Amino acid sequence: MELQQETNKQLILQRLGYFRYPVLLIFLILVARLWQLQIIQGSEYALKAENNRIRTIELAAPRGAILDRNRVPLVEHRSSFTVLLYRESMNDPDATTLFLTEKLAVNPEDLESELRRSRKTGLYRPIVVKGEAGMEDISIIEAHRRDHPEIQLVPKPRRLYHYGKLAAHLLGYIGEVTEQELERNAFPGAEIGALVGQSGVERIYNGLLVGRNGQRLVLVDSRGREVGLLDETPPVVGGSLRLTLDLKLQLAAEKALEGNVGAIVAMNPVNGEILAMASAPAYDPNDFSIRLSHENWNALLEDPHHPMQNRSIQNSYSPGSIFKLVIAKAGMEEGILDGDASVFCSGSADYYGRTFHCGDKTGHGKIRLEQAIAKSCNIFFYETGKQLGISKIAEHAASLGLGEKTGVDLPGERSGIIPSPEWKKEARGEPWYPGETIPVSIGQGAVSTTPLQILRAVCALVNGGRLVTPHVLMDAEYGGGTPEWPVAQVPLHENTGLRIREGMWQGVKGGGTGHAAAIAGMDICGKTGTAQIVNTETEKRFEGTAEDHAWFAGFSSKDDPEIAVVVFIEHGGKGGAVAAPLARAIFASYYKKGN
Amino acid sequence: MDRRLLLGFDWLWFLTLMALSGAGLVAIWSTTDGTSLDSYFGKQVLYLCCALVVFFVLLYFDYRVFSDFIVFIYAAGMISLVLVLLIGVTVHGNKSWIDLGFFSFQPSEVMKIIVIIALSKYYSRLEGERLGLKELFFGGLIVLAPMSMVVLQKDLGTAVTFLPIYGILSCLAGIRKKHLVFLIVVVLIAAPLGWFSLQGYQKGRIRNVLNPSSDPYGVGYQSRQSVIAIGSGKFLGKGFKQGSQGNLGFLPARHTDFVFAVLAEERGFLGSLSVLGLFLLLYYRMLRAAREAKDKIGTMIVAGVLALLLFHMTINIGMVQGLLPIAGIPLPFVSAGGSALITYYAAMSLCMGIWVRRYVN
Repeated sequence: MELQQETNKQLILQRLGYFRYPVLLIFLILVARLWQLQIIQGSEYALKAENNRIRTIELAAPRGAILDRNRVPLVEHRSSFTVLLYRESMNDPDATTLFLTEKLAVNPEDLESELRRSRKTGLYRPIVVKGEAGMEDISIIEAHRRDHPEIQLVPKPRRLYHYGKLAAHLLGYIGEVTEQELERNAFPGAEIGALVGQSGVERIYNGLLVGRNGQRLVLVDSRGREVGLLDETPPVVGGSLRLTLDLKLQLAAEKALEGNVGAIVAMNPVNGEILAMASAPAYDPNDFSIRLSHENWNALLEDPHHPMQNRSIQNSYSPGSIFKLVIAKAGMEEGILDGDASVFCSGSADYYGRTFHCGDKTGHGKIRLEQAIAKSCNIFFYETGKQLGISKIAEHAASLGLGEKTGVDLPGERSGIIPSPEWKKEARGEPWYPGETIPVSIGQGAVSTTPLQILRAVCALVNGGRLVTPHVLMDAEYGGGTPEWPVAQVPLHENTGLRIREGMWQGVKGGGTGHAAAIAGMDICGKTGTAQIVNTETEKRFEGTAEDHAWFAGFSSKDDPEIAVVVFIEHGGKGGAVAAPLARAIFASYYKKGN
Repeated sequence: MDRRLLLGFDWLWFLTLMALSGAGLVAIWSTTDGTSLDSYFGKQVLYLCCALVVFFVLLYFDYRVFSDFIVFIYAAGMISLVLVLLIGVTVHGNKSWIDLGFFSFQPSEVMKIIVIIALSKYYSRLEGERLGLKELFFGGLIVLAPMSMVVLQKDLGTAVTFLPIYGILSCLAGIRKKHLVFLIVVVLIAAPLGWFSLQGYQKGRIRNVLNPSSDPYGVGYQSRQSVIAIGSGKFLGKGFKQGSQGNLGFLPARHTDFVFAVLAEERGFLGSLSVLGLFLLLYYRMLRAAREAKDKIGTMIVAGVLALLLFHMTINIGMVQGLLPIAGIPLPFVSAGGSALITYYAAMSLCMGIWVRRYVN
């Protein structure tokens, strides 16, 4: 019995001995796992632990201010709050959704689409659930901070356009950078959700205007509640820009355009500084500072008057009689209009089997260049144009920068069209017929220019042939400095300039078509244009369906041009009756401040 | 008390226990607020004092006293398990606690030790070299009866811990190969059946181990945070109260089931390796006690307790390391909690008693 017990115990001990092996195996596995987690992948997990406990709150930097030439602020920023949702801190998505939609009045569909859109991005990246929090939202969120730590308010400076629609097209607006823009790196340094300039100065000088975002590193607990501040880098406000724009003149231009569809640009003819640039109808860029709803965006896009379009550079129109200045220049330079050269105007003339009329049905009689400009005699320019031929016309028009971009520092500029045999062959595959030259001589036919091109060409004609680069930037606080703007010299005889200026002076002061622009005691000069709306297919006038485009381009003073103005009113009617009085208002405003 | 008992006392063994509990106390202090008697730390100090009293009081009694009266002790244990079902308190979904007013007590913890003694007693009295089917079956009943009561308490984690006791003691008693294979097959068949009886969240925990990245913010959250805590401790750890995973609440149940993760985060590879080393040292001393025990029952009791500890430790650290599904099993001696601590010290006292009495008749 005792022996039996003893052998039994020996057996048990023998069996017990085997248990060493599984015990050692277990320890080996546990130690190996510790080694893997803490030694091999330690740094990786340390980073994950940091990401867990540290939340980075982006502090958006305000964009720089935009000032007019007298440093009057046009665009600044105001402080506001955005509501963010930190998905990683969301414990109960249903409760969060309910809170957002019921208490903060977030549109459930917007929220859903936003959540779906952000599904691919990292959970640590907050999503904007309400662009701008009102006072009520702020107090609700503050009151529920403990229950809803996933919902946070962050300060977000808003772009503030002090004058609303004023110079909207020139200033532009800002919006969230799009995926496509990110892909082609249109805005270097911009990240998802960054606000970037989408048009105008805001876009062209985005790099100078953006500030450097700061950030707050805060310690959060597992529920996402802030428990401490680790580090804070304050945002750096962007550099401010000083534009060449003159607020007073701009206000005058905006006022002049009220109720019209068109554009007014005022420029210094000597250096190309744009003093005013207005286009109507306009939009309010403030609407874009908070996320624009789809309805409002569509309404802007579908508006038949295209309020988003800057008519002074982004569309081209038939210039009508203003183009006669180009013919005048060409005729003078080519020796056709030397000395006493004159044309007899009987009110109409036949060319290539078609009868063309003058504006004055009774005819101007024997007429010379200056009077032809002042009275806008069609026959004179038909004759001159016919003698020049289409190629010479195209050459001289091109030398004045027509049919090409002016190089203005604004986006989306159009180049327009100056017809030539080469152009027609390429565009329509047909040869040029000499008869087509006749309407081109008075700025009809396929001629198409932007108002700014016209203004620039007129400036070159009256300032001794200096083809300036129109621009809106005076100087930038940093980065841009005071830029140089190239000036091209157009070959122009002194006499040519003198006679054209004389013709334009007579056009306003000498009882010409632009007399409505006259201001007593001022040497205002100008040329009107009334562009007939011609169907490009039939080359026939639309009968009664649309008014003509009204144009006026002028400058002052006659001997020392310091301001040039172009007025374009879409379907406005007669240039002399509609456009000239608006130009007068601009000149009046310019001289009122005693400049 | 017999002088030989004191002389035979294994101080290294005892110090190992103190070191493990000490490491647990430091981790609990570090990861919870305050040191007052109401705090987790304060309570744990109290529990440890109680545990030490229990340890030394029980050490005074010869283990054969327990084995002689095991029928009554076993019966009392079963009655307390029934009582739990009737008047028990539900904590975290488990109805396994009896509220004694000043102290909540978990009878299923003590029942494990009682089962070890009962089964050891039953097997040690058998004559043959090998275990017969009848003996194996009867031994199984001793384990299965309390185990099924614990299952009824919905405390699956604790219920499963009865199995290694049965397994190891049956192996020591000389289970036949075919019976062992049969038992393994039964467990393997029962496992998928058990799967269907699991709650949804329990299934998710198991799935998560098989595929940790499947749902990082849902079921896998605890496991993921625990692994981050361990890994981010790197070699030396972040230091006392510096563990962000624990102190900022990313770690679940950080002072109880996940206390090892706190240790690993704040003490690094070095610290966690030390804790594993202490466990290894403990097992070495216990194996020595099992070998040197005066009789078969002594050997079996120590081996049974060792199996229980090893199982708990493996399940707990394996779960904290993301290797095993999350089950509510604390780390012996280290995790906060009185009931388990006192039970383990009682079991240690039992084993130490077997060691000090190795020469006593």
